[in-house]
Amino acid sequence: MARPATEELRRRNRAALLEQLHRHGPQTRAELTEALGLNRSTIGGLAADLSESGHLQETTGRSTGSAGRPSTLVECVAKSVSVAAVELRFDRVRFALTGLGGEVLDRGELPLEASAGADAAAAATASLLDGAEVAEAVAAVPGLVSGGVVGHSSELGWDGTDLGAALAEATGRKWRVTDAATAGAVGEWSRGDAGEARNLMYLHGGRGLTAGIAVEGRARPGSSIQLGHIVVEPGGRECRCGMRGCLEAEMGAFGFTEAIETTTVAADLGDTKAREALRRSGQYLGRALGAVVTAVGPDEILFGGWLRELYLSSAAAVRSALAETTLPQLRSGLRLRTPALGAEGPLIGAAETGFEAIIDEMR
Amino acid sequence: MLLELTGVSKRFGPVEVLSEVDLSIDAGEVCALVGDNGAGKSTLVKCVAGIHAIDGGSIAVEGEVRDISGPRDAAALGIEIVYQDLALCDNLDIVENLFLGRERRRGIVLDDDSMEQLAAETLDSLAVRTIRNLRQNVASLSGGQRQTVAIAKAVLWNSRLVILDEPTAALGVAQTRQVLELIRRLADQGLAVLYISHNLNDVFAVADRIAALYLGRMAAVLDAADTTQSQVVELITSGRSGSLGLTDTNGART
Repeated sequence: MARPATEELRRRNRAALLEQLHRHGPQTRAELTEALGLNRSTIGGLAADLSESGHLQETTGRSTGSAGRPSTLVECVAKSVSVAAVELRFDRVRFALTGLGGEVLDRGELPLEASAGADAAAAATASLLDGAEVAEAVAAVPGLVSGGVVGHSSELGWDGTDLGAALAEATGRKWRVTDAATAGAVGEWSRGDAGEARNLMYLHGGRGLTAGIAVEGRARPGSSIQLGHIVVEPGGRECRCGMRGCLEAEMGAFGFTEAIETTTVAADLGDTKAREALRRSGQYLGRALGAVVTAVGPDEILFGGWLRELYLSSAAAVRSALAETTLPQLRSGLRLRTPALGAEGPLIGAAETGFEAIIDEMR
Repeated sequence: MLLELTGVSKRFGPVEVLSEVDLSIDAGEVCALVGDNGAGKSTLVKCVAGIHAIDGGSIAVEGEVRDISGPRDAAALGIEIVYQDLALCDNLDIVENLFLGRERRRGIVLDDDSMEQLAAETLDSLAVRTIRNLRQNVASLSGGQRQTVAIAKAVLWNSRLVILDEPTAALGVAQTRQVLELIRRLADQGLAVLYISHNLNDVFAVADRIAALYLGRMAAVLDAADTTQSQVVELITSGRSGSLGLTDTNGART
């Protein structure tokens, strides 16, 4: 009777060990013992198991500079399991083949024509993948995603586009489709600087504005927030989506993707028009965030994409608007930061989503 | 509290530059010090740095009242200051600048290897990616890179409090962003940061708390999350904003 339980326990521990090494890099057995709270000999057994299956290897590791035998390090074998990740943007498809442990084995990028459909994006993805053997494949799309279907994407101009089916047809395998902002949150939590955040929100600034949430580093199902379509000025400018006064329309998000550099430089040189544009955009962003913070209550917000530039250049307006539109209890513990991984967050996060699924399957 | 100023006063002859200033800074937070020209920001920093002796009040580091009578005392307490003019030597390379005056030795020669390694580790821990070669002369660096080196120099010595006097004043937009992110990272790694700036966007981007000086007196110390830009502007220009700030801003004291 005890056997199945032991077997299950062993399986769980094996997954935990792999997850630990995947996230935190090479470690000695002593460090692993401490991190996982398992017995030293248990770790040894598990490591031997996983070495046999080719996932791990032990190396004569770091020298501490002191006398004595250097302790051996346990590390992931990057090539044993790999995940393909693509990130779609309005003008290109970015691709990364990531190995266990987070090492990027291959990278690629292909241009995407304006108003390209799912088939064109899938074809580009297939040629970037180039028939590589992968355990999981994940696509990050800026927009509202449900299953494999992209419900709405301002950036790509898609509405109800079945990307999952197109990718499956072009590559002959199943793809997970996630939204870029959620992927960004997962990426920053696992590989960036935000690993301590419990409820992490990532804002993705591209040609549209979206936000995603990772709770304890995991994508929250249905967490894709259409930040750009929060109405900040009722009856205001007409948005592409048909509503009036959306954040995206009021900020002129389409222009901003390219114009943020010139606008911030002009504002720095004293251009009053540029300053006013930044201040207004910051204020609108702060108001929209106020609504999102009130609804979701994140403990950290990262300003990704071009919103990084906007935030650092108009933080006073953003924070003032946020302070005026949220409860003190919700904003007192709230950290506002810029992403440590820069533009790489969504792509890295997409790969991490794949690894999470692989490790979950082992449990 | 890492640093606690209580009733600090400073006079230059008949002029009272600081008048009973209270301020405390904890580890892991950025406290921004704002104020108009002549409000006493730089004087306050120089008092903490040990350049000016204080005439009244006390400075406590980790709860213990200390007598800081020179820059060396400040450095020994883990207080490092990055001045506006950076004080780097153009004709020395990055590693030499970082260790200037505090070089590591191995016997009678300098231990270049370990200094270079420590310099690389420090810049790495600050996620500095803009500097490739540690052996290039500081003269060849951009303004933002120089600021980065100056900040790294302050962090290298196990400092606990880093004071930055207008670090972005002379920088372009892109470099300002990098320095702001660097300042935030210092605090997130557990250092206390006192940050002086005129630019309210920069202040709001990094600060946890905002301290406003008005004519040598502390008008208010506010949580950045509870503050709006217009409140800070009012505190800087008139010393009060609504119920916040000084109640007797004409200078007369009751």
